[in-house]
Amino acid sequence: MRRTIIWVVAAALCALVALGGCGKKEEAATLTIWQTYNDEEHPVFKEIVRQFKEAHPGITIDIVRLPFAGAEPKIQTALTTRTEPDIARVDVSFLAKLASKNALLSLEELVPAAFRDEILPVALQSCVYRGTLSGLPDQTNGLCLFYNRELFRQAGLDPDRPPATWDELIAYGKKLTDEEKGVFGIGVRNSLWWSLPFFYTHGATFLSDDGLHCLLNGPEGVAAFQLKVDLYERHRIEGGAWRSGGIQNDLGFQNGRYAMIMNGPWAVESLKKTGLDFGVGLIPEGPAGTATNVGGNNLVVFRSSKRPELAAEFLMFVAGEDIQRMWAASLGQIPVNVKAMDAITSDEHPYLAVFVEQMGTAIARPQTPYYPEIENIMNPEMQAALDNTKSVKDALDTAVAEIDKLLAGE
Amino acid sequence: MSARRHTKARAWRRALVYVGLTIAAIVVLFPFFWMVVTAFKEPGQAFTAEIFPSNPTFENFRRVLTEFGFGRYFVNSVIVATTAAFFATLFASLAGYVFAKKDFIGRDKLFGFLLASLMIPGMMYVVPQFAIINKFGWMNSYRAMIVPHLANVFGLFLMRQYMTTIPNELLDSARIDGAGEWQVFRTIMVPLSIPIIATLFLLTFQFHWNNFLWQLIVVNIERLYTVPVGLALFRSQHEASYTLIMAGSCISVLPIVAIFFFAQRYFIEGMTMGALKG
Repeated sequence: MRRTIIWVVAAALCALVALGGCGKKEEAATLTIWQTYNDEEHPVFKEIVRQFKEAHPGITIDIVRLPFAGAEPKIQTALTTRTEPDIARVDVSFLAKLASKNALLSLEELVPAAFRDEILPVALQSCVYRGTLSGLPDQTNGLCLFYNRELFRQAGLDPDRPPATWDELIAYGKKLTDEEKGVFGIGVRNSLWWSLPFFYTHGATFLSDDGLHCLLNGPEGVAAFQLKVDLYERHRIEGGAWRSGGIQNDLGFQNGRYAMIMNGPWAVESLKKTGLDFGVGLIPEGPAGTATNVGGNNLVVFRSSKRPELAAEFLMFVAGEDIQRMWAASLGQIPVNVKAMDAITSDEHPYLAVFVEQMGTAIARPQTPYYPEIENIMNPEMQAALDNTKSVKDALDTAVAEIDKLLAGE
Repeated sequence: MSARRHTKARAWRRALVYVGLTIAAIVVLFPFFWMVVTAFKEPGQAFTAEIFPSNPTFENFRRVLTEFGFGRYFVNSVIVATTAAFFATLFASLAGYVFAKKDFIGRDKLFGFLLASLMIPGMMYVVPQFAIINKFGWMNSYRAMIVPHLANVFGLFLMRQYMTTIPNELLDSARIDGAGEWQVFRTIMVPLSIPIIATLFLLTFQFHWNNFLWQLIVVNIERLYTVPVGLALFRSQHEASYTLIMAGSCISVLPIVAIFFFAQRYFIEGMTMGALKG
């Protein structure tokens, strides 16, 4: 009898301790999030966090806002001392680097397949490193063609009809260019990411499937970059925006020096504020049709997180239909959730609707931790081709040989 | 007659020098001028060619100070930069005195060793310093932003080189008059080294005022952000709010300008002192 009582008391104590522990754990549930949203996005994000907390009473969420420029070194330093947060918002290319260092929690088990099907495929792919889902997108974007409707009118072009093909763009460009006034048909940036629409519309592939070879120096790639060079060199409709010291394309577009530029959805709001009469069209079709590149940001959970399920749930909450609907409507950005796409109607969001359509043709960037290095190899070679010190074939061959060496060292 | 021609030629030359200097001043000051006018423009107008904004606005300053808490960042920067510059200068002048005027075994070897550490790029220190700060539990504090930079080898070098030129006889005569070590330092070394002390203070202040990466890394609370970190928040991945950046920059250059005007007196003093000696 006595013994039984002791057992019962002991069991009760154990249960109490366990429960107490449990309750404590629930209380202490804290998520730390490091994010890089801009001034407009930050308040909306805080609202998202508020809603998440409402759905999960008792949890604490610490938001730390970081400047985009310093986020990567800060995260890397924190990782060396194990002081990283639970969740961070990182650029598409930084995700691969973190995943390759084994710093990220795999979301394979935590994010159900049904949910993954809701996510825009190219955006989801940007979170997959070597077959493992390592994050969820919170924002996606790609480039489209912006054009100055006023300059179109002055040149006798239809301001509602941006060029549909590259040939058409060249023909338009010749009408728009007036070298004496310093007005040019188009201004292009030089870097690899900004050149991807040229490559993709010509059917060039960036990396081989095994990720060991860069394929941009194939015939399609050469043709694509030759077009970019020709815009400046042969057709003389490009204003030299890629030159160091040239008028940068955003600026030239704002000031009416370039009638067309490529740009992303982030530019829409600030351009509207300048009062410029502009339109947005799809990237002109090449031999492989229209296509664009993918940029954006993903939310990742670090391996060290003590609350992996809760963190994963937060990621799904952000990428979920309701939040994405709100995000798209209040900020004019492309939703990452396909179910929220219908929130973007061409009546209400004429510019964004074009971007949403273009994202359907977007080609995901292969995930490699070396993306920044690839840019560093590629850009000077492309510059040499643009200023005609090297042939396009030579420049791309040299760059690809370097890149392959880099990839082989992986 | 020829004297008049001579003065005339001199006047011409002077005029030419002034024209040259004026042009140089315009070139140097134009970015500052542009910063100030842009700070008064409306958001979309940042890059319009008009020199003066057609409807100038205080909106940027208002937003920077109220919505974005720049006042707080400013106070943080002042605390960090002033404290760090004060102590770094103090330590460097004390050590500089010892290395310049005291004899002890291995002095020159030790000095060479310290100088060699100048050759290591500062970025190399970031991670180990961060690890130490983290171990001390100093994260998210002013200490973390200030303490690691108090020992300044470059400052030590500057001080030592300058103090070596101060004649030993001055120190000896002070000692004969019964001055102690501390008194010699305070009444002879410091007053004679004021130009270099002011310079070092200005340099370290400026370094800490502009320091971005370290202040960002050791702080996870927006309340403790400094001005450069706050300014960087206005720049997102693809675009930047230039009018806000410029308004913030206008505020951030004020202390540097103020300190420079204050310290300039000593620079000039330093120069005339040399002239008298010659």
